[in-house]
Amino acid sequence: MINLQDKLNQFNQLKKKSERLVLIGGAIIAIGVIIILILAQQYNENAALIGFFVLVPGVIVAMVGGVEFSKLKKRFKVEVLSTFFQEAIPGTNYSPNAGLSQPEVYSTEFLKRADRFYSEDLLTGQLDDVEFRSSDVKLEERHVQHTRNGTRVYYVAYFVGRVFKFTFNKPFDGYLQVLESGSPLSNRGFKKVELESIDFNKKFRTFSTNELSAFYVLTPDIMEAIFELERRNPGRISLSFTGQELYIGINNNRDTFEIKMFTTIDQNMMEEFKRDLLVIKDFVHTLKLNTKIFKQI
Amino acid sequence: MITLEIGGGLIALFIVLGILLIVALWYIGTMNTLRQLELKVHEAESGIDVALTKRFDMLSKMLETTKGYAKHEAETLEKVVKWRSGIPENATLKDKEEFLNQMNQVTSGIDVVVEQYPDLKANTVFLELQSAVANTEEHLQAARRLYNANVTRINHIIVTFPQSIVANAIHMEKKPYFEAEERKRQDVEFKF
Repeated sequence: MINLQDKLNQFNQLKKKSERLVLIGGAIIAIGVIIILILAQQYNENAALIGFFVLVPGVIVAMVGGVEFSKLKKRFKVEVLSTFFQEAIPGTNYSPNAGLSQPEVYSTEFLKRADRFYSEDLLTGQLDDVEFRSSDVKLEERHVQHTRNGTRVYYVAYFVGRVFKFTFNKPFDGYLQVLESGSPLSNRGFKKVELESIDFNKKFRTFSTNELSAFYVLTPDIMEAIFELERRNPGRISLSFTGQELYIGINNNRDTFEIKMFTTIDQNMMEEFKRDLLVIKDFVHTLKLNTKIFKQI
Repeated sequence: MITLEIGGGLIALFIVLGILLIVALWYIGTMNTLRQLELKVHEAESGIDVALTKRFDMLSKMLETTKGYAKHEAETLEKVVKWRSGIPENATLKDKEEFLNQMNQVTSGIDVVVEQYPDLKANTVFLELQSAVANTEEHLQAARRLYNANVTRINHIIVTFPQSIVANAIHMEKKPYFEAEERKRQDVEFKF
């Protein structure tokens, strides 16, 4: 049985190989560019072509390094993170190549339909009788720009972050959303609810189809807990209670569980991955999803 | 010259009429807001009634179950609650507060009985009812908070100038809060 540190060392060595390829490729590209500039200045454009013969192999080498690194990232997730997460929250299943489905993401009713949809790093399991599913989600909107030279199509990301789905035992009466910005994207007849906490109303916009249910769920403790979660998780946070599910979205422009090029995989990085995983535990416990308010009696 | 004077008079008249129109619209707007908020306060009070009734029903069932184990104690507790058939229609908010406090006393009393009769603690029906009572307490808390939040909003308008002028004109007075003491088991002493 190889211990974690040995595995990290092994991956660091493989990572260095791919990084070396990228560096070599980069250096060749740089030399190629210099040759092109010098030859173009001193001779003519045809002479500068020699520089291209240097530049192209550089691009190929750098690309090979990039592809190697990308493969390594996937292997790291499967071989190291899966086991690591299992130990942190027993029963957790980690599927790096899968993600929440589009219907699941749009069931939040606070995320609008995207023209381009990506999801990965699916985590599923059960914690204190509360089922959870979470994944990284990226949503992009298509933009078309008409110019004199033609039409340019480009995509702009409006959500980059994580979406969490928790299923608890008790169906929620009505629909409730707590949003840092925006409004619910559904025609269920949501109405804005003013809670007794002025600070909470300033920070979040609360919408519900049943005002009493909003007060039932958002007790002073839970309001304080949502404040705490917002403080601990930078980015725009949104919560949506629908039926038996609670959806949470954090739009923080972050891609979680990714190793980075030219950064050593060490205990600090592993701790960061663990913290990102334990956000699930934090939600369940801080929002008291495991307590009687959400359990069938 | 004369035309100019008439024009100036007309402008002044339009300004006065405009101001009057704005004041009238503001008055109607404030009045409507107050009426709507008053309606919300009434709705929230109905929510309190529903939660109180639910809790009363659950407590009655609990007392019935308790009678099977501790008849005397259960009957003593039954007498604590003034209204044996629920909340009367003409009950004031103060009455409801008192009713809630009486129910809190009964709940605490049942807790004391449970300590004395371990068999009761093991009764599954009783345990289910205990959970249901706890659930109705949560709902009552929510209803109370919703009511008080609405009262705060309407009272805020009633005491703030110049909205207070409209409130006085339509004889709207500050609404009372629904004050309820938290149930404190240690404060209750029962002599059965």
